[in-house]
Amino acid sequence: MSEPDLREELKNAPAEPLLPIEKKLIGWSLGIGVVLLVVLLLVNHYFPVTL
Amino acid sequence: MSVATESARWPGTAQPEPRITEDWLSVWIGLAIFVLALGMLGGVDLLGWVVSTSVWIDPSLALGSVSRAYAQLGGAGALVVTYVALLAVLTAAAAALDLDVKRFAVAFTAVFALAYASWIIGSYAYVAAVTPAEQQKFGIGWSLKLTNEGGYVVALLAGLIIANFFPRLAEWLKEAIRPELYIKIAIVILGAFLAVTAAGRLTLATSLLLRGVAAIVEAYLIYWAVVYYIARKWFGFNREWAAPLASGISICGVSAAIAVGGAIRARPIVPVMVSSLVVIFAVVEVLILPFLAQTFLWQEPLVAGAWIGLAVKTDGAAVAGGGITESLILAKSAAEGIHYQPGWILGVTATVKIFIDIFIGIWAFVLGYIWTNHINPSPNKARVSEIWQRFPKFIIGFVLTFVGGLALALGTPTQISSKVPAAIGEANTFRVIFFILTFFSIGILSNFKKLWQEGVGKLAAVYLLSLFGFVIWVGLAISWLFFSGVKPPLAS
Repeated sequence: MSEPDLREELKNAPAEPLLPIEKKLIGWSLGIGVVLLVVLLLVNHYFPVTL
Repeated sequence: MSVATESARWPGTAQPEPRITEDWLSVWIGLAIFVLALGMLGGVDLLGWVVSTSVWIDPSLALGSVSRAYAQLGGAGALVVTYVALLAVLTAAAAALDLDVKRFAVAFTAVFALAYASWIIGSYAYVAAVTPAEQQKFGIGWSLKLTNEGGYVVALLAGLIIANFFPRLAEWLKEAIRPELYIKIAIVILGAFLAVTAAGRLTLATSLLLRGVAAIVEAYLIYWAVVYYIARKWFGFNREWAAPLASGISICGVSAAIAVGGAIRARPIVPVMVSSLVVIFAVVEVLILPFLAQTFLWQEPLVAGAWIGLAVKTDGAAVAGGGITESLILAKSAAEGIHYQPGWILGVTATVKIFIDIFIGIWAFVLGYIWTNHINPSPNKARVSEIWQRFPKFIIGFVLTFVGGLALALGTPTQISSKVPAAIGEANTFRVIFFILTFFSIGILSNFKKLWQEGVGKLAAVYLLSLFGFVIWVGLAISWLFFSGVKPPLAS
């Protein structure tokens, strides 16, 4: 692909609305991520770094 | 190229598929250096000739061999022997990679000369001296206080100047511009160095290792989802661009962009463009973040280490940036009368980065499965075997040297274990040289003008917004939550 083609492609790319599967992916990722971080914070709190 | 992470190449270095990947080569070369260094345990100093640079005011005292056993070589002799050894090993590696060996050898000679000259300049007392005592020792009234690891920044700037003002020279050098190979070799060696550091405080090291898990959650589940949403919803990118872009920004730069690009069956141009962008932003970050960390986080050294690992994308820039950060913070702390053991800040940065790297293949498979089954159903479906194909193999080398170093430091009689730090210290001198080559190479690959002409403005906007508006600050918050209050051990 030549360079001008790429610029044009990025500029004129047709809109692709978020599909339900993408929404699920984003939602589940964030949800699991936040839950896991909370769990890890609790572990961090109750099992602090030992020297 | 079918195996993305294995051949996670930097832009401008694309080649046909070779007999062996840079990833595996880095494992073998790193392990060879590690094994040769262990000769010292049997009383044979096999690597003591490697060149080492001290902070200098008199150029004749800048260089020397790392071991006194090879002092007769002198600084220049040690430099020449080091160059010849690296040339031989890396030219053989170039042959294995099916590169033009002659061109590689010539280009490597220039790359080594320019990169190591940058390192020597970075060790000039006016650049590197930190404490008033050091300034007094060298008879100077001021210095930039960059520490001798400021040489990394000099090497990066030298590469940037060549890339942006002497593009024909950059093109001529490109055969030897292999930042992925150089940094992976360095990381394999780093495993042994961190093992020796950790052996003294195993409980602390284990606690820090467990906290590295937070980095995985943050990079894959939080960063990726947010950046993907921003790219798709706010900037209107299609899925083919948004997934590699989100992976490059949130996970591990070049490797992740290429792995995910392959997994979702994107056209090759997509991850290549994203990778170019990742390199540019990594350069900007490495020039800024270590100094911010020194200014604002010097009292929380491990927070700084984790932050660099989470914020700077690409292994090379992150781990090497961790090295600069450690050096700057140790210097600042020393000026305040606190002398931390070296290795812990860099260790946290490397742990965070390697933990993130381990899951690239799995994440790429997850996205590949969703894409090839639900978004763009095709007969070419994602396969479980791709997880192994995309696994960054240099991590195996890192684990081997880490475990090997730890076993030798903790599981051998005192007369042997007492020699381990010196032996690994010699290997670590090679690690520093590979860091220098990495920084110089990253600079050479960063042609800002060329990238802008290729039309990446919109991609850069997503990167800019995500990185400076979200990734850096969330990374700082998470690093603070998990690492604040934990200090590296004091130097004895």
